[in-house]
Amino acid sequence: MNHVRPILQTILAIVFAFLVAAIFILLHRSSPFEVYGALYQYGLGSWFSFSNTLNAAFPLILTGLSASIAFMSGVVNLGQHGQFLWGALVCAVLGVYLRLPSWLAVPLLAILGGLAGAAWAGLAAFFKRRYRMDEFISTLMLNFLAEYMTLYLATYPFLDPKAYVPATRLIRPEYFMTGVFGVNVAFFVAFFMVFLCWWFAWRTWQGYEARMMGYNKLFATVGGCDVESDTTLILLFSGFLSGLAGALLILNGTQHRFTKGIGANFGWDGVMIAIMANNGVFQTFFYALFMGFLKNGAVGMEFETSVPSEFVMFLQSIIVLTLVGTRSGIASLTDWLRAKRELGKLVK
Amino acid sequence: MGAIVVQLLHAALSSATPIALAALGGMFSYHANVFNIAMEGMMLMGAYYAVYGAYRFGHWLYGVLFALLSGLILAGIFSLLAIVLKVDEFITGIGINMLALGWTTYSLRATFQVKGAFISQTIPPIPRVRLPVVEKIPFLGAVLSSHPFLVFVAVLAAFVCHVVLYQTKFGLRLRATGEEPAAVASVGLSIGRLKFWSAVLCGIFSALAGVYLSLGYVTLFSENMSNGRGWISLAIIILVRGRPVPIMLMSLAFGLLENLGMLLQRYDVPPQFTAMLPYVATLFVLYSYARRLKTS
Repeated sequence: MNHVRPILQTILAIVFAFLVAAIFILLHRSSPFEVYGALYQYGLGSWFSFSNTLNAAFPLILTGLSASIAFMSGVVNLGQHGQFLWGALVCAVLGVYLRLPSWLAVPLLAILGGLAGAAWAGLAAFFKRRYRMDEFISTLMLNFLAEYMTLYLATYPFLDPKAYVPATRLIRPEYFMTGVFGVNVAFFVAFFMVFLCWWFAWRTWQGYEARMMGYNKLFATVGGCDVESDTTLILLFSGFLSGLAGALLILNGTQHRFTKGIGANFGWDGVMIAIMANNGVFQTFFYALFMGFLKNGAVGMEFETSVPSEFVMFLQSIIVLTLVGTRSGIASLTDWLRAKRELGKLVK
Repeated sequence: MGAIVVQLLHAALSSATPIALAALGGMFSYHANVFNIAMEGMMLMGAYYAVYGAYRFGHWLYGVLFALLSGLILAGIFSLLAIVLKVDEFITGIGINMLALGWTTYSLRATFQVKGAFISQTIPPIPRVRLPVVEKIPFLGAVLSSHPFLVFVAVLAAFVCHVVLYQTKFGLRLRATGEEPAAVASVGLSIGRLKFWSAVLCGIFSALAGVYLSLGYVTLFSENMSNGRGWISLAIIILVRGRPVPIMLMSLAFGLLENLGMLLQRYDVPPQFTAMLPYVATLFVLYSYARRLKTS
């Protein structure tokens, strides 16, 4: 029963969200059936669509994990966007200049990208530890700094002279990651990271301390956790995951170079996924796939109907809000009913 | 040199206005102990509907009207989720920001058939006021004159908010809600209702900030044009602990910094670096705040 209820809630909330969105589709003078049909057809309908959904989901899985691991530990890392961008930029630049056999270079580039993300998050960790600056605002501000700094690097020092927009040069073709039956290898890396995160959170003592810190920081301190070191570790790990997402997008995406706007909305999508997943590791994986499905289906939706693909951005936020609203609403309703029942017993 | 200083101060006042308006809105939530981070979204939504109303109906007043309505609707959604359904305020705020970003991006495409930005000669901007007497004063006149009227609304609002917060029954109740909710409940007032009014005020002020962005500061709407101003205003509120007049002064400091960047561009500093200044300043402000907490 404990497992069934959240799943039912989720289904209820998603159905409700799609109904709300249907009203807006009707306002757009389109048929919701056609729109949702196209969404399904291009998101899940065939192996080709499904593999594309998995490919669209891999950065989301990683940024989602990044947010989940942080929020689970009570560390408000909202800097996924900036960490992602640094991961992507470092990977893209080194991918042009590094000369190594590809079996060595590809994993190295991915890890270096992750480390770049970790370093950027480490800056926030440094601020937090040295100056007690709240990571909530500092990671946010670092996002803007990362945005402008990477853009500067892609516009001046590492600009591809043949490009029309600020972009770095194409990485060496032998570093392109491939796929298995149309599914990018990066997806499997992300899948592996899901297990790694689960193992970290539930099977290591650092993970245990981190979770305790998320439940109650004071309790963790009194219980003997080194809260400062744990926060630093979580920020670094969380940054690594976001940076890895950026690096993998360069290695296994479609562009293979750093361009303006490559970060898209991956950072905030990750935050939304973590919120929907209630910071659970496997739930994060599930919701990231769901988001990937929406994003991938959106292309088909625009192709088949008159509804533009941007509609999915709106749909996502509606789903997030109705999901958390329904979940919290049901919880407070059951609490209220239980309180009333107990009161009834007492009064009688 | 003098001309540059005048120009700088004029521009600073101009770019301080949206930050100040949003911060004044968020201040009410701050005092009611509602962790409202939805200013960014409310501002963006206000900016979009200001352009929508003004363009569709040909007068800037419609823009203001539509923007205020959008602000009220978002405040309503915020209250429904955070106060009635008791969703975490932080999560609600992020959800609303995403909703505003998604909806404006979609609407921009669906209504105006453009991607990225909507620019048109026929969007009527909000009128600029020329101050009759002050205009004649040599230095001050040039700094203060020919601003969109919302600039003066923002400055006045800082003082009005101060009075409302510290001199009226409503302000007292609002602050009490934040400091000791039990005391407010014990005299028969609804905490939920007071929190709701704080969200409404936040919606109104943030929407006005949006109007200023899209019909005053510039006359266009572009995707995500609030660009972190809501977050900066949040940092300011936390820093000055929600006092209205210091909010105004801090916003001015940020406005000055933003335009100092423009000045630096003349000396061949790349625009990407000068654009970073407000965010670096926010980090610095956070640093000094943390230092002050440590020493006190």
